[in-house]
Amino acid sequence: MSRMPLYLKERIEEINQRALLFNYETNTLPKWEKVIITWIALAIFWMIVSVSIHWQNILIGAVVTFLVSLLMYDMFTSDIRRKGNVAIKALRIIFLYVPQYIFIMAFRLVESNLKVLKHAILMDINPGIVKIDSDLHSHTGLTILANSITLTPGTLTIDTVRGLDESKIYVHWIDVETLDREKAGAIIKGGLEDWLKNIFW
Amino acid sequence: MIEYLFLLLGTVLMISGGLGVLRFPDVYTRLHASTKCDTGGAMSILIAVAIVSEAPMLIKVKFLILAFLIAMINPMVAHAIARGAHKSGIKPKGVIDVYARDGF
Amino acid sequence: MVKEYLLVSPFELVMFIVLFTSIILIYRVIFGPTTPDRIVGFNTISTKITVVIAILAFLKNEYVLIDLAIVLLMVNALGSLILAKHFERGGEK
Repeated sequence: MSRMPLYLKERIEEINQRALLFNYETNTLPKWEKVIITWIALAIFWMIVSVSIHWQNILIGAVVTFLVSLLMYDMFTSDIRRKGNVAIKALRIIFLYVPQYIFIMAFRLVESNLKVLKHAILMDINPGIVKIDSDLHSHTGLTILANSITLTPGTLTIDTVRGLDESKIYVHWIDVETLDREKAGAIIKGGLEDWLKNIFW
Repeated sequence: MIEYLFLLLGTVLMISGGLGVLRFPDVYTRLHASTKCDTGGAMSILIAVAIVSEAPMLIKVKFLILAFLIAMINPMVAHAIARGAHKSGIKPKGVIDVYARDGF
Repeated sequence: MVKEYLLVSPFELVMFIVLFTSIILIYRVIFGPTTPDRIVGFNTISTKITVVIAILAFLKNEYVLIDLAIVLLMVNALGSLILAKHFERGGEK
């Protein structure tokens, strides 16, 4: 392996990456696990929205959320893959990554609002639609990246194109600084994509 | 004291969102003002209400759930309206339009 | 004789400011040049009304109104999504 030419090594790494992504794409959870995960999520939402803790209320909620989760078990859970220890992963997501994300996004949101106020008063806008690349490949990760781009200063997502080899995002930028794809991606995404790669694939 | 700070911030952001929707030139820039300022202002006002309210804990959590739903739903609706407007033939004012050049 | 003041707490003042902003935004709904502009104005007004309902639920201690706010938010999102799909498939012809 060590005597291999450089271009061949790059090609093999590319094929390995693609096989890994294809593996991720096809290995979904079995059906009953999907139903149970959806049931637990919907039951927690029911318990928060209807604040009473009477036993009839809990019984009605359990029956109704079970019927709903039998119908739409594929909506939340089609991007969950089994890899590593589940409990450690859940604890790390809840106590480390989500507070980090909220802390980052709160300051970016206030900054973007003040920037809109400045643009609305001074009217110094220079809008345009640019295209950037993304390394995320799942539906959920791409959706959360697009929503975060919409809330960060000066940008609004128009459309996303998802593919196994490359994902593209079309962004309406209120003050176009550069037309180069790499530089525009580095300015628009910031540190968000590196953070999102910790959780989504 | 911090709840009145949140309240003042939310009110300023709501007014700036309304100003942006009135003054910007085309539908995409109006969507900028609408989605960002509405999300920020609504979330900060709801956090202020949840801090100052004397309700039990579960009801404060309901205010925060409302703020979370606003933060999830508003960017999605803005994205859908922008794509629909572009596909129905409204041209954006500006320097470049890669989305129309790529044939969508 | 007890006299009731209208603006006793800052929350009521904020509520009236938000209502005033949404009344100004009716200009965008009526005189918008294209139909997506009208949808943007309508969506903005609905989010502001959601906030007003939440503040009312706090002021009057009627916490059932929060459910109403959540339902209004979801119905607003659904209506905007349906209108956006309608535009995507062909627009106003």
